[in-house]
Amino acid sequence: MRRLAPIELLLAALCLWAGWYHTPAGALVRTAGAWIFRTHSTARPLLAYYGAGVYQPHAAPPPLLTAPVPPAQALGYGAWATAEHLGTPAALSARIKALAARLDGVDEAAMLALFCGEEPARYALTRAQDEDGSPRLEDLARALPPRSADCIAQASQALAQAGAYALAWPLPESIRITSPFGMREHPVLGIRRLHAGVDLGTAVGTPVRATAAGVVRRASSDGVNGRILVLDHGRGVTTMYCHNDELLVQDGEHVRRGQVISYSGNTGRSSGPHLHYQLDLGGQAVDPLRYRAGHPRISSAGAAD
Amino acid sequence: MQLRVAERVGRLRWIFLPLGLCALTAVGAHAAADVVGDRVLWCVDRVSAFFDAVFASWSVTAPLVDLVGLSQRSFFARALALAWELSADALIAIPLLGYDERDGKTELRTARALLRKTPTPLRLVRPLATVLVAIAGACSVARMVQGSVQLTLHASLLSHFAAACALFALLLVFVPRAGFRALEHADQKGHLVATGVFGTLVLAPMMLAALYASPLVSFFR
Ligand SMILES: [Zn+2]
Repeated sequence: MRRLAPIELLLAALCLWAGWYHTPAGALVRTAGAWIFRTHSTARPLLAYYGAGVYQPHAAPPPLLTAPVPPAQALGYGAWATAEHLGTPAALSARIKALAARLDGVDEAAMLALFCGEEPARYALTRAQDEDGSPRLEDLARALPPRSADCIAQASQALAQAGAYALAWPLPESIRITSPFGMREHPVLGIRRLHAGVDLGTAVGTPVRATAAGVVRRASSDGVNGRILVLDHGRGVTTMYCHNDELLVQDGEHVRRGQVISYSGNTGRSSGPHLHYQLDLGGQAVDPLRYRAGHPRISSAGAAD
Repeated sequence: MQLRVAERVGRLRWIFLPLGLCALTAVGAHAAADVVGDRVLWCVDRVSAFFDAVFASWSVTAPLVDLVGLSQRSFFARALALAWELSADALIAIPLLGYDERDGKTELRTARALLRKTPTPLRLVRPLATVLVAIAGACSVARMVQGSVQLTLHASLLSHFAAACALFALLLVFVPRAGFRALEHADQKGHLVATGVFGTLVLAPMMLAALYASPLVSFFR
């Protein structure tokens, strides 16, 4: 038994090494160590260790768009918004397409390859396929060693932003925006706070369309948001539709892009008939207009919430 | 010479074995909590929709709906996963630090005697959870070994072999010890009903998640 001691020591060391990177205690020790020795810590905030650590909050707002985004180049735009220095959206789009062609056509792997290198992406893809996992970014990320944490976070941010660039609009574009995203005085409560989405002033009963394919995460009703729908589009992209008059889909249902999911209304805490449309990337509300070039007709008069 | 090194290392077993066991289980608990993140988010959505509907019915509590805004769902899901993982750590990983090695035969005999005692949920849930979570931890460690070897040495066969060896050794040397210590600990603590109910609530889903986080077969493909 004693002869096995070196092997046991090695195994214990491996466990501690894994614990260092993959437990809250490890993250705390790393943070505390960095603080004591005044060095740079590689530890992320504790909550960033879930979802395989792929969704990092507080992304910088993307650069302003000068022209509409061609749907086929959304991935390139996502990469460009995350790391502008890598090249133009068109060039990045072509690079991602070429990478995807070599990586079994998996866009997640291609984006990972762009930021982490092709070999790690290829390895992660093989590993995820061995585990019978769908090659989501989380599954790919789990296969890579801790030193890839930064480039994984970049790839996930790029994918989320690409998802945002690929979104359609829930109502006809001619419908004016009655209250934009940002800090403002609340029209009903009268206090200053962040308006986490955009308000589209439209008559009760206007068909609302899903801005991308996804799954209904929540179809519920309350006195503040009214009849509300939350759609999860994967890759950290979520859209919300509040104050509807009638919901046409149920919890857990899969919806297509452009499918009519509800009729807009005036339910909940609202000053008049409108749709509150909100876009979340990695659990953070962002301005959906940032991802659309030259969206017409913003006017601040009209119904809002 | 070799024997002397082994002996010297052996003298430190009392410290590195408990630490290793605790780390292995903590890694497994994290892997389990992480892999079911989607389900946790789903639960948070259901609970939050329910409370929003309740709170919004009265004007006094309506601001609470905004307090937990729609965007905070994933924050809460992650906080919940963290709390769940930490509870599991407290229940099954920390007790492993008390591992006190005896020779293999004694451990086996004690374990058998403990298993023969009247099985209460308490006596069974914790050891079973410890073993399953430790297996998930072993998979996590093996995956890390494979990834690191592959991306450092660029040798696919070697990385596969290293991962399989690490997994096999952990399953053989560490997992049974963790199970034994958990049995022993559950026997000492077996009479506290409150911790038992709490433990079962925390550990029952953790066991399922651990199964989900243990792709054992994938290492031998
Ligand atoms: Zn609004």
